[in-house]
Amino acid sequence: MRKTGLILLFIIFFALCYLTFVSAEGVFRSDWQAPKTIEDENAQLRLVLITQDAETTFWDNLGKGAIEQAEKEGASLEIWGSYGNNHEDFLKKLEIAIHSKVDGIIVQGLDSEEFKYLSKVKASFYGIPIITVANDVPVEESLRRTYVGSDQYKAGSMIAKQLLNDMGNSGSVLLTYNSNQEYYQKQRLNGIQDVLKNYPNIKTIYAETSSDREQIITATRDVLNKTPEVDGIIAVNANIVGALVQEISKRYQVEPYFIYSFDDGPESLALLRQGNIDGILEQSPEMMGKTSVQLIMEWLNGETVPLDLKGYFTDIRILKAKEVQ
Amino acid sequence: MTSIQKKILILTSVILAIMVTIWIALTYYNYKTQNQYNDILQRYISLNEVTSASQQVITDLNNYMLTPSAGHLRQLNLSKGKIQEAKYEIFPLRNEENDFALTNYINLIDSLLETTDRLIMFISGKDMEAAAIEFSEATRISNYIAEMKLTILDTELKTYDRFYRNIIVQSEELIKLGVWLILLITFILLFISYWFSLSITRPVYKLTQAANELSKGKFDIQIDVESNDEISFLAKTFDRMRININNLISEIKQKAQLEHELQQNKLLLQESQFRSLQSQINPHFLFNTLNTLSKKAYLEGSEETSDLLVSVASLLRYNLKRIDRAVTLAEEVAVLRQYMDIQKARFTQRLKFFIEIDESCLDLKIPALTLQPIIENAVIHAVEPKEEGGTIWFRIFNQAEWITLEIEDDGTGMPKEKIEQILNERTVQTEGHSTGIGFSNVVKRLRLFYGYEDVLLIESTEGKGTKVIIKILKKRSK
Repeated sequence: MRKTGLILLFIIFFALCYLTFVSAEGVFRSDWQAPKTIEDENAQLRLVLITQDAETTFWDNLGKGAIEQAEKEGASLEIWGSYGNNHEDFLKKLEIAIHSKVDGIIVQGLDSEEFKYLSKVKASFYGIPIITVANDVPVEESLRRTYVGSDQYKAGSMIAKQLLNDMGNSGSVLLTYNSNQEYYQKQRLNGIQDVLKNYPNIKTIYAETSSDREQIITATRDVLNKTPEVDGIIAVNANIVGALVQEISKRYQVEPYFIYSFDDGPESLALLRQGNIDGILEQSPEMMGKTSVQLIMEWLNGETVPLDLKGYFTDIRILKAKEVQ
Repeated sequence: MTSIQKKILILTSVILAIMVTIWIALTYYNYKTQNQYNDILQRYISLNEVTSASQQVITDLNNYMLTPSAGHLRQLNLSKGKIQEAKYEIFPLRNEENDFALTNYINLIDSLLETTDRLIMFISGKDMEAAAIEFSEATRISNYIAEMKLTILDTELKTYDRFYRNIIVQSEELIKLGVWLILLITFILLFISYWFSLSITRPVYKLTQAANELSKGKFDIQIDVESNDEISFLAKTFDRMRININNLISEIKQKAQLEHELQQNKLLLQESQFRSLQSQINPHFLFNTLNTLSKKAYLEGSEETSDLLVSVASLLRYNLKRIDRAVTLAEEVAVLRQYMDIQKARFTQRLKFFIEIDESCLDLKIPALTLQPIIENAVIHAVEPKEEGGTIWFRIFNQAEWITLEIEDDGTGMPKEKIEQILNERTVQTEGHSTGIGFSNVVKRLRLFYGYEDVLLIESTEGKGTKVIIKILKKRSK
């Protein structure tokens, strides 16, 4: 009796000890470490990458490459982005970056007055170098240090050649593009036109749309109504292609059309995988990110001054639907 | 310091130490969390201050632009100073997570200040158009500052999210810890107090019990208290007292025993003296008469009668001597023979008497008149009642340590109760003893004389006979 009592007491004692210990551990142990405070300021160069089409595959890859390179170079890089071609937000971000006196800005070029004012006047006022990436704005208008991205003219001609290759030397080709004629789009168009004009049997139809989805659908409908004999379509602005394919599929099979576009739109890759479009021009976003950071660092460190104003072109290639399916 | 006091002090200090430890731990913990809370709050306050200061700058700018007075300028410079101060306050908030945004924040403030300076310059230069552009820019920057603050706060919340959750969990855990701690301490204190009080009260209880036993008169139970304090000292002293009392009592008992024996002896003496005094006149007369009768019988030619009368006379004389002297066994045997001669004359052929004596034992000292009453008893019981008579043996052996005297008869035997009566020295109904000395008197005298109890044994089988054995230790007799 006495023995069992004693054993019971011991069990209670140890149980209490254990529970108290566990509780105390929970109270006093903190596995959270406050982020390290940084004593010396401006130890790192601060770069900002600003885009209009955040969180698309293209820009994600570009950002990835940029961050990798920035880490390698020991610079801190932030990616700011606006979504779905929100120009106002995009420009505000650019202005904040300028007012925040970052050391370098890598920006997706926007062929608009406000953008040019900001890059030309404001950025120069604060002495901040701007590199355009993926989409260029001519140096005379933007005073950018350089451009990193695809040769858009070459890209246009490549895609036109691919179209001819697939479709043949005769037929009508629809070129849809954004009515807001940006520099890179113009260059692509030029590239396409310069190829197509050599083929007299090719009839070229132009369709201008705005970036609004409804507008794209309406414009597509119009063109299809007016010229139902279209064989090939090139969405010069990749943002259009999603709505375009959607509208075509409403009335016809998508298969017989030769549809081509570029990879910098949000839906390009998905559509290609589904086989709704026949090919896209694939650019090297990761390479762009990498090179742009590398170049801006070179400029900031005074290694390469000035940078090549014409720009640094990255690889491009045609990616066909068969290859990804 | 006494050791009970020491024990109490130790207990108290242990409790105190536990309490103090817990108090210190909790206070330290409280202090730490308090600091953490303060830091967090300070972060937010500092971050927020910039925004309100920047808004103040814009308001003052506006006022100054509308009416460019010295008062408004002073006000503006004041708020500029404030925003500078606020800026320096947020420098230490920089960490890995918010480094970029915070630098932006600080630079935005700088931009705002620069813009403000330009604006002041334009106003003083009366270039109101340029001033208006700068003002709108300042306003925008101020808005950006507010936005950037939100971004930073957002980052802060994300960075510190786990920390905040941790704080919540910890405070919950703290309550639990409190409960467990209270339970544990209660348990430990109860246990220690119980054990501790037991270490004091158990010896006291034992001591009480021992005292109780002593008071009941049991002096031979040892007092054994296992303890290392005053109680054990008390117990030892108490035990010594018990032993002393015990010794005293046994001494007193011995003395009482001795006194009792002395008293008995005296009483026996008085009794026999009284008897002998009682028969003093008569025996002398009887003795002289018996001697005359003996001579007369001798002269008349009856020699046998004459001898018998001499025996009777000498027996009477022996009997008349003081009973409290020691005689030799030889003297006793002589008296015995004379007594048997008389008895033979009385019973003639009915009495057979055999005697075996080891002569070497005859010097043995023995109280007077011890054998005669026993033989007489044998005659009374073995010969008198039986018509065909009886036989009596008397033997003396010399053994290694003992000298044994045996008186045996083949009479009716003695009942057990009677033997016990005799051995317990109770006076037995006398059946005509010639010397006036009973069996029990003999037993008593023998025991007193030799000093041990089993000096006399009686073996008796009813119908077959009785054997009385007297064993005398040789050592004692020397």
